Amino acid sequence: MKKFSWVFHLLLSIYSLFFAAPLIWMALSAFKGNDEIFDKPFSLPHSYNFKVFLDAWSVGGLSKYFINSALITGISTLVVLLSASLAAFAFSRFDFKGSKQLLMLFMIGLLLPIQSYFISQNKLFEYLHLKDHKLSLVIPYVGLGIPLATWLFKAYLDSLPKELFEAARVDGGSDFAMYRYVAAPLLKPGIATVAVFTALGTWNEFLLAMIYIQNESYKTIPIGLLTFSSRYSTDYQLLFAALTVITIPMIIIYIAFNRQIVAGLTEGSLK
Amino acid sequence: MKPSSRWTPYLFIAPALFFFAFAVLLPMVGTVFASFFQWDGFHEPIFVGFRNYGRALQDTIFLQSFWHVGIYVIATIFLEVAIGLILAGIVTSRKGFNSYRIALFIPVLLPTVVISVLWRFVFNADFGLIKGFLDAIGKPEWNHVWLGDKRFALLAICFVSGWIYAGFYLAIFYAGLQRVPKEITEAAAIDGAKSWKIFWKIKVPMIRRVWEVSLLICITGGIQGFDLFYIMTNGGPYYATEVPTTYMVRSVFRDGEVGFGSSLAVIVTSAVLIIGFIYSKVRAKSAEAVEY
Repeated sequence: MKKFSWVFHLLLSIYSLFFAAPLIWMALSAFKGNDEIFDKPFSLPHSYNFKVFLDAWSVGGLSKYFINSALITGISTLVVLLSASLAAFAFSRFDFKGSKQLLMLFMIGLLLPIQSYFISQNKLFEYLHLKDHKLSLVIPYVGLGIPLATWLFKAYLDSLPKELFEAARVDGGSDFAMYRYVAAPLLKPGIATVAVFTALGTWNEFLLAMIYIQNESYKTIPIGLLTFSSRYSTDYQLLFAALTVITIPMIIIYIAFNRQIVAGLTEGSLK
Repeated sequence: MKPSSRWTPYLFIAPALFFFAFAVLLPMVGTVFASFFQWDGFHEPIFVGFRNYGRALQDTIFLQSFWHVGIYVIATIFLEVAIGLILAGIVTSRKGFNSYRIALFIPVLLPTVVISVLWRFVFNADFGLIKGFLDAIGKPEWNHVWLGDKRFALLAICFVSGWIYAGFYLAIFYAGLQRVPKEITEAAAIDGAKSWKIFWKIKVPMIRRVWEVSLLICITGGIQGFDLFYIMTNGGPYYATEVPTTYMVRSVFRDGEVGFGSSLAVIVTSAVLIIGFIYSKVRAKSAEAVEY
C-alpha cells in the first residue's frame, strides 16, 4: 500500500487544485484592474493595493450589511439557545401531560422544508407589519433553528445520569434552579454545536432575507452582496474584493475553530 | 421526574413553542389552506378546490422543474456523496492528509451567494477562469457562454454544487470511518487484503447507516434546492435550470399567484416527506446492519 501513496497524493492534489483555484483566483483578482483580469487570469497582480478592500467595505456598503448580519445572527442564536435548551430540559426531565404530543410537534419541524411555510409566513408577516424592520428576520430564523436545536439538546440531556437531577431535587432545588445550575453547565458541548449551526445558518440565509428585507439599510450580507453585485456589475475588481473581504475572515474563524464548526454542521445529520 | 408544580414544564416549553408555532406551524397550515384558493394576495380569495393542483400537474414548466431537480439530485449523488466517500477513503488511508479534509470543508460554511457570484465569474465567457484555462491549453474554441447555454447551465450548477458539498460528505464519512474498529481492518490486512479492498468490502458496508443518511440528505436537500439556482441562472436560460422552488418563488412573488404557488409548495413538501417516509421504512427493514 505504501508504494501507491503517490497515486493518492496525485489524486488529492489534482482535486485540491480544482478546489482551490477559484478561491485563489478570487483573492488575486481583487488586486487586478479589469484589463489585468481579462488578459492575465493566472498571473500574480503587478501590484498589491489593499485600499480596494476598504472601498468595498465602506463605499460599497459591506460594513452596513456586516453589522446587520452580526446583529441578527447574534440575537437569533441567543434566543434559539435559550428557548431550545429550556424546552429540551422539560422534555428530557419532566413527566407531564401532553409531553409526547408536544415533542412530536417539534419533531415535525425537523422534516418540514422551508418551502412548506414561507409563502404563508410572508403573508402573515405582511399582515402584522413584521416585514422590513431591522430585526424582521429574527423571528423566522428562530423558528427555523428551534426544532433541531431542541432535539440535539434533548439528546445531550437524555444522556446525563438522572441521579444528578434527583440529588438536586433532594437538596431542595426548584425546577428552574435545576435548569440553571445542573443542566445548563453540562450542556456546554451541545451549546457549541447548536450555536454553530444556528449562527452559520442565519449568517448565510438567503431566501427569507430576500423576501422580507427591501430596505437597503437593513439588508444582511447575502442579499446585500447580491445588490452590490448588480450595482457594480462591471467593476470586477471591486466585486472580487467584496467576495474576498467576506470570505477571508470566515476562513480564519474556521481554521481557529474547525473542530467545533465541522461538528456543528455535521452532527445534526449524524444523530 | 415530577416537576415541582404542574405547570412549570409548560412554562419551559412556552418560548420555543411560541416561536415555532408562530413562524412555522401556523404558516404551514396557512399554506395548505391557501393552496385551495385562487388568490393574488390582495383581493378576496376564491375557493377553487383542487384546481390549483390540477393546473400544477399540467404545467409543463413545473413538471420540467422536477425533471431538472431529478438530474441535479442524480448528478450530486455522484459529485457530492460518491466523491466525498472516495475522498474520505483516501484521507483516512494514512496520516498527514488531515489538512485536506479541513480545507475541503471551507465552501460548506461560506454564504451560497458568495460562491454563486464567484462561480458566475469562473464561468464568465469573457474573462472567466475556465476561459483562461482553455486559452492556456490552446483550445479557445471549446469556450462557451456556460451559464447562458441550455446544454450546459444545469450541469454547471451541479458541478458547483459538487465543489461545495463534496467536503461536507467527506466530513461525515470521515467521522463514520473513524468509528470502524481498528482490530477489524488490521485483521483483514494481516490476512493479506489490499487496502482498497478493505475499504470497499469492510469499511464501506460497516458505515452503511452513514451513507444511507448521506443519500437521504442529498436527495431531500436537492429537491429543496434554491439559492444556487436562483443566483447563478434564476431558472434560465429558457427555463433550462428552473427547479420547483425557483418556479414557486416566481409564481408567488412575480406573478402574484399565492394560491397556485402554495399548491406547488404542498406538492414539493409532500415529495420530500414521502421520500423521508419511504427511507425510514426501508431503514427499519435493514436495521440489523451494524449501527454507527
